[in-house]
Amino acid sequence: MNLRFNKDWQLSESLVTPEKEYRSRTRRDFIKTLGFGAAGALLLPNQSSAATEGFPSKLNPNYSGKELKVTPFNYVTSYNNFYEFGMDKGDPVTNSNQGWKTDPWTVEIRGLARNTGKFDVNALVRKVGGIEQRVYRHRCVEAWSMVIPWDGFQLSKLIALAEPTADAKYITFTSFEDSKNAVGQQDSNFGWPYIEGLRLDEAQNELAFMATGVFGKPLPNQNGAPLRLVTPWKYGFKGAKSIVLIEFTQEAPLNTWQRIRSDEYGFYANVNPKVDHPRWSQGSERVIGGGVFNGRQSTLMFNGYERQVASLYKGMDLKRYY
Amino acid sequence: MNFVTRLIRSEIIFYSLLSLPALWPLYPFFTGNYTVLADPTKYLLHHFGFWACLLLVTVLSFTPLKVLFPKLFFLTALNSQRRAVGVASFVYACIHLGFQFLHESGWPTLVHDLRKPFILIGVLAFLILTLLAATSFNAAVRWLGARTWKSMHRFAYLAAFLVAIHQALGRKIFPKQVIWIFLPLLILEIVRLIYRYKKKTVSAVVLS
Repeated sequence: MNLRFNKDWQLSESLVTPEKEYRSRTRRDFIKTLGFGAAGALLLPNQSSAATEGFPSKLNPNYSGKELKVTPFNYVTSYNNFYEFGMDKGDPVTNSNQGWKTDPWTVEIRGLARNTGKFDVNALVRKVGGIEQRVYRHRCVEAWSMVIPWDGFQLSKLIALAEPTADAKYITFTSFEDSKNAVGQQDSNFGWPYIEGLRLDEAQNELAFMATGVFGKPLPNQNGAPLRLVTPWKYGFKGAKSIVLIEFTQEAPLNTWQRIRSDEYGFYANVNPKVDHPRWSQGSERVIGGGVFNGRQSTLMFNGYERQVASLYKGMDLKRYY
Repeated sequence: MNFVTRLIRSEIIFYSLLSLPALWPLYPFFTGNYTVLADPTKYLLHHFGFWACLLLVTVLSFTPLKVLFPKLFFLTALNSQRRAVGVASFVYACIHLGFQFLHESGWPTLVHDLRKPFILIGVLAFLILTLLAATSFNAAVRWLGARTWKSMHRFAYLAAFLVAIHQALGRKIFPKQVIWIFLPLLILEIVRLIYRYKKKTVSAVVLS
């Protein structure tokens, strides 16, 4: 096993893309860099005004690593799946910025918990005690990978706030539904809204994270603004985007991709180089931004987070529970 | 009219046209399209596979079009270029496979993946195209005899069928492009069969 744990979690500020490297790249920052300052910010559409609470964030050194080479901002924000906005990787960046508003945003907490109700996303961030930055590996089930500096809070804080009852065994995340703005949702065959879920003990793992930002800024719409799930030991599709409902349940939810293609996608979706996808091998992955010739590396068990999460799946047949 | 025919028959112009799809993937590399640059191998893999498929469907539609519209002058010219289009489809398929090789970083994964229907069907289609390209020379027609050669090259239809399945299996959700690429060809072929059947019965009646 190719895991180097003692190095994984050492402090290194240099891991995160230097601010100036991504600062000059978005239109918003470009104007700021030109010296317009606050005036420049006012001129801009509220494209990234999603959940602004808590910024600027601080890097949590426990969730970073020397060998993690952060994927450039432009790739993270222009290459991803967000089927609500189209089938292709370039669709979300275009189609989610045509007037779809992610501010203000309300999240409902419902189900088997003591403190349920509707919360403004910024108020929720305040309630859980603000945000921090973590650098996580991201492994898509399609065998490509990135390293992303997320901003947000540990999911367990939200769970503690909600106080689930003893009956609660699962947590379900439901994404927004707005077929007027989300062109992908006009294809009703898909069965919207997007649903994902975790076992409650998985959700309480220290790695499970609710992101409100990326690269030290509020999430751009295409990355699931203003609130999305990040579970770095699982394939990317587990990370429900633009969440409007978090529900505590007794039964496991039928997550969207399992409902559509259960032969290819299951409930657990743990990164596992030994369990192939029906159409390709999961033993290695293409590193986004690696170019045409040297973009491939071996995939690690649980995406390199074996030490943190392996105990959750003790005794389970991971070939069966893919 | 003669001008169009001459254009189609001109090898330089026709070959340039056929090589255009190989050139335009360079465009996003110049303009800095981040969606493409994020995973360039995948983009190139899909681009060349798409064109291999499109050219195969194109070349297969020439004959039925000519049977249905025998008087359209440029169809005769196009039919004289069938070999060029067919071989171009094979060349694009080769590049597609080459990028699959890069995409999977080598033979072990490629061989390992042969057990997956999606990959296996694509490879089978490629093998058929290889056989047809290898026997595309005049000498091969003489060597095999026109009759054998012709029935052998009907395998192109099987290749197209396999490519359609390969493409349909390629995505998580059924890709609608399979329909708009293959349905016209399917309709053409059905119409052609009906047409031929009618012609036969008519001539049979006339003869009796």
